[in-house]
Amino acid sequence: MNDAVRLQLEDFSQDEEVRALRAGSMRMGGIATFLGCARDFSEGREVCEIGFDAYRPMALAELQKLRTEAIERFGLIEARIVHRLGTVRAGDNIVFIATGAEHRAPALEACRWLIDELKERVPIWKKEITPSGEAWVTPHP
Amino acid sequence: MITVLFFGPVADRVGERQIDVPFREGMCWQDVRDELTPRYPEAFALVSIAAVNGERVRDDVRTPLADGAEIVFMSRFSGG
Repeated sequence: MNDAVRLQLEDFSQDEEVRALRAGSMRMGGIATFLGCARDFSEGREVCEIGFDAYRPMALAELQKLRTEAIERFGLIEARIVHRLGTVRAGDNIVFIATGAEHRAPALEACRWLIDELKERVPIWKKEITPSGEAWVTPHP
Repeated sequence: MITVLFFGPVADRVGERQIDVPFREGMCWQDVRDELTPRYPEAFALVSIAAVNGERVRDDVRTPLADGAEIVFMSRFSGG
């Protein structure tokens, strides 16, 4: 199976990621997932596509650190993070996070923590492509 | 030589993704920033994060660069 942390151009399968998450242990009682998708409307404008740029070596290293930190901090059994790069169309998948723990609370908390930290710490930038032009996204909560 | 990389909105404003800056003994990443800011003021107005050789660096810590170092000047991230 693919690495637990990946940056990739192609789409991913949520089912395959969850299957891989579960493959190493039958002790998981709770699995939480987060799927980030490309919206077709933002800041009052129609959005056709979203382009991603990244400082890939640092982005991958930061994602790996985040996974390790989440496992230690929340006592997870396993965690996976996949983020797409390149250009995605409105409605497409962007990012997937899956966390598995013995109980639901740490899985849910870790999943929320991971996407919040990813936005703060991982050097990836998104550009919205609209019928009237392109604009880099300003981070917001 | 020091390699300076730009990504995303900063790269758009610089108009390049890479610039080479001559290495000088004792220079720190802050010296490179101070040298490039007047050349690319609009780009550096966005810069709030820097990394040296893939590691985030703090503005208040000056560590001399090695010849061949890679610096990245970045705006706030917007992935996810």
